[in-house]
Amino acid sequence: MAHQQSSGEVKPYAISSSDWLTPGRKCQKGAAVFAVLASLVWPVQAALVAFALGGLLTGADVSPVWVACGFIILGVVRAVLGIKSESLAETAADRVVHTARAHIVASEAKRASDSPFGGAGGISALASEKLDHLTAYITRYASARARVMVVPIVIFVLALWSSWAVALILLVSGPLIPVFMALVGMAAKEASQRQMAEIGTLNDLLVERLSALVDIRLLGANETVLDGFSAQAGDLRKRTMAVLRVAFLSSTVLELFAAIGVAMVAVYVGFSLLGALEFGTWGGPLSPHTGIFLLLLAPEFYQPMRDLAAAWHDKASADAVFTELSEWSGIETPSLLGQGGSASPLAGPASVTLRGCALPGGGVLDDIDVLPGEKVALMGASGTGKTSVLRMIAGLLSPVSGSVLVAGRPLDTTTADAWRTRIGWMPQAPRFLNASLRHNLTLGRGKDPSQALDLAAVGQVVAALPQGLNTRLGETGGGLSGGEARRITLARAIHGDPDVILADEPTADLDADTAAAVTSGLLAHADRGATLIVATHDSILAAKMDRVIWIGRRS
Amino acid sequence: MTALWRIFRLILREQPTALWRGAVLSCVVLLMGAALLGLSGWFITAAAAAGLAGMGAVFDVFRPSATVRLLALGRAAARYGERILTHDATLRALESLRVRLLAGLVTAPYPRMIRIRGAQALNRLTADIDVLDGVALRLVLPVMAGVMAQVVVFAVLWALVGLPVALWILAGYVFGGSAIFVLATRKTARLSRRAEAAAQAFRSRLIDLIRGRRDLAVQGQLVAQADFALAADRRRRALQTQQDHAERLAGAALHMLGTVIAGGTLWLGIKMVQAGDLAPSFAALGFFTALALAETIAPLRRAASDLGRMAEAARRVSRDIAVPLPTSAPSAATGGRLQIQSVALLRALSKVPVLKDLSFDVRSGETVALTGPSGSGKSTLLLSIAGLHPVTTGRITLGGLSISDWDEKSLRAAVALLPQRSVLMSGTVADALRLAAPHSDDDTLLQVLEAVQLNGVLQARDGLNTIIGAGGDGLSGGEARRLVLARVLLRRPKVLLLDEPTEGLDEPTAQAVLAGVRRFLPGAAVVIAAHRRVETRFADRTVSVN
Repeated sequence: MAHQQSSGEVKPYAISSSDWLTPGRKCQKGAAVFAVLASLVWPVQAALVAFALGGLLTGADVSPVWVACGFIILGVVRAVLGIKSESLAETAADRVVHTARAHIVASEAKRASDSPFGGAGGISALASEKLDHLTAYITRYASARARVMVVPIVIFVLALWSSWAVALILLVSGPLIPVFMALVGMAAKEASQRQMAEIGTLNDLLVERLSALVDIRLLGANETVLDGFSAQAGDLRKRTMAVLRVAFLSSTVLELFAAIGVAMVAVYVGFSLLGALEFGTWGGPLSPHTGIFLLLLAPEFYQPMRDLAAAWHDKASADAVFTELSEWSGIETPSLLGQGGSASPLAGPASVTLRGCALPGGGVLDDIDVLPGEKVALMGASGTGKTSVLRMIAGLLSPVSGSVLVAGRPLDTTTADAWRTRIGWMPQAPRFLNASLRHNLTLGRGKDPSQALDLAAVGQVVAALPQGLNTRLGETGGGLSGGEARRITLARAIHGDPDVILADEPTADLDADTAAAVTSGLLAHADRGATLIVATHDSILAAKMDRVIWIGRRS
Repeated sequence: MTALWRIFRLILREQPTALWRGAVLSCVVLLMGAALLGLSGWFITAAAAAGLAGMGAVFDVFRPSATVRLLALGRAAARYGERILTHDATLRALESLRVRLLAGLVTAPYPRMIRIRGAQALNRLTADIDVLDGVALRLVLPVMAGVMAQVVVFAVLWALVGLPVALWILAGYVFGGSAIFVLATRKTARLSRRAEAAAQAFRSRLIDLIRGRRDLAVQGQLVAQADFALAADRRRRALQTQQDHAERLAGAALHMLGTVIAGGTLWLGIKMVQAGDLAPSFAALGFFTALALAETIAPLRRAASDLGRMAEAARRVSRDIAVPLPTSAPSAATGGRLQIQSVALLRALSKVPVLKDLSFDVRSGETVALTGPSGSGKSTLLLSIAGLHPVTTGRITLGGLSISDWDEKSLRAAVALLPQRSVLMSGTVADALRLAAPHSDDDTLLQVLEAVQLNGVLQARDGLNTIIGAGGDGLSGGEARRLVLARVLLRRPKVLLLDEPTEGLDEPTAQAVLAGVRRFLPGAAVVIAAHRRVETRFADRTVSVN
């Protein structure tokens, strides 16, 4: 894990479940040791109780204070060991979950385009609540497994020392449990996987529905959407119940096994104490305190196995999460050129050159040369690749073949961040972060966006908002008109004085007057020496540029 | 807390029978557990006593041992039934809660609706609702069952063992358990609330990162956004660590409470036996019962640690749950003339009036273009005609009936609005179209695609089966615009409201699309918020909104 995180790259191979668990391995082992020690306190407590009750029967002198105090002190020891074990297990879980989460965030920040694994809802569900499923697995399963390996054997030896008959009962009934558990485990895993898949689907579905609420309302599709959602939610419930049913059934069966085992021990002990049975011990009849001791021990023989069975379902859901994680990590998407972080600006005049660039959708672009300070319009029919050209210039899309040169240097991983520092970007669809308008505008560059707002002819609109720059807009600019939202993105693009402006349809949505204002804002910015590249259908805007580059066939 | 109670009542109202049965069964499980252990202890000790006294032959072994077996099997069966019953009931109740929550969002007032952020609303619908499953399963039912079981056991122990032992056990568990619960809650409620807030912040920041990845990259903010998301997770981790610590202490305290009560019972029992007031077998019965009753307080640990999160989730969810819409009778009118009568408007989020005293009529089959600079209120007027925005003065009527008097369903059937921004969901082109008209056949869909000049473009791909990614990925801006226009046309409204319909289209395409719209809906009254000459030229007349 560590090396993958440090390089921060999306690996082309899937990461196995044991890799994901590595960060917590050491603490997990410590937790197991303490869990075993805590469990071993019980036989001592049981011996004390058996001694006291047996003493009462035989008339021996039993001090109530010493017995009660001894019992309670042993209880304290057990509680302290338990706390230590849990604390280590939780540390282990925290490390594993955190490392995986950080890895997902880093990898998602490296992608240039959306992963076919799923939408934002699916991936965020994986990174948040699904990863949390690993906590239950790490905190419960590991310690239960350690206890299963030690505690039943210790109790078996203790039982054998007192009575071979009781030991025989434990020996016969014990191994049935793991066999049954393995069968259940297989069913549980399958059910968990189906449930996980359903959660992901439901989240993706919801994220989309929620961002389309207005459209759904306007199309009168409320009922259709609610029905669809209701059906999906019903499916999820059924899948969840399927998982739970397996879990409940198996723990019930285990409880029955344990109950039968304990009952057999009780019957044997009871009849021996009555004198009806005279076999099963190493000579001499079973004493009352040995009988009580054996009876107190018997349930603890089964307890670790029952705990493991309960944790087996945590394992099943953890396995399902591991499967999704490896599916997610196995998907390769084009990586972003550079990190997408801040950098010192790339030196050199702001020129852009495209040589023989092939589009992902097919087709090769004519060569494009934009000189520093030049104002250029990209025109062409809808869908011919204007947006793709802007993305290539910004390093968001790598050409299938051919090369992009910026400021005289090839646009690659080493230059992309530095180049983008010089770019002001105005995308076709406005999208705002869940933060204040001020943060959305400045994005950490400079403090006061008012000059940019005025240049984009949107200063008054912001001033009229009830909370001004502290307003939180909807995801796509809800609360503003379309034209206003786009002018905000223009203000964002020119804030911080970039010397290259890439604008995708900057005047779409705008009436003639505002379009003219935006155009003059862009031109004013360009007159300060910035290179301006706009993709547009607007012939008025295009006419104000130095020249027009036609993408695709001239229409 | 009141919100938590309200949510519990909602859950209870959804599934009353199952939950009551579940509560009774979980009490039965606890009682059987106590009886099982108590009886076993008594049985062995009594048997030993009889054996020592040489009375082994007359001791009745069969009834107690049969009862032990019955209790063991009965408890396992009751537990299985209780779990299935309560989990199924809770999941069903939560499912309907989820649907109601989404229904509440879909019918929210328009100004709120446009500011709903997908990520936050998703948190409500998934994480918050998931947390609420604990309200019945881990809080109310276990506490109720535990108290009931304690009371029953108290009565039985009083009769069999004596008042001191019975009282010690009852008082110890009830007061000790409550004290630990209250102390633990005081500490963890705040922590878990904040941890949950941090977890939700992480989620919404990651969603922002994934959905806005390209913008963020160009702005050099991608790394910062990733750090921002991880910062939320770091905060959650720190809180989680504190919370885990408090929870462990509570767990240890509950464990110790059980040990101290059992130890105390042992002490009382031995004293009573030594005083000659009690047979050893009944001292054993008391001790084993006390041990078994630790099961009644075990769920408090989880309940205490989840309480803060549950209360917070309940507060948010109960605020967002749908207030059922007034089911007004369907309006008599189904269409007709659209009249705007001396209307004045305020824009959303603003107190500045944008329209003053505007009046005009639109007849069926007529196209009117609204003109005026950006921000002059064209879009707001279209929203008002669609019944989503109130008018300050004046009236908008359709077929003689004021828009505000139309019921939602009839209004949506009669009036369709293409807003400036529409969202496409992932699926095929046919899926996108059928959202508007679920029962349309393929021919109709192809016809409407032809009208908006998309047929040719899509034929080159997979036609109606062309896959669209999330948010319209895979379509160019102009194609997406035409597809959402097609979707609106499929509603076949009497009144068609188009807000800058040809945005992103080149001039010849825009012209062809507008002509296609008219061809597809020859009888509709069309109102266009126009920003391009091609749109005003297409209209029969223009109305200036200033």
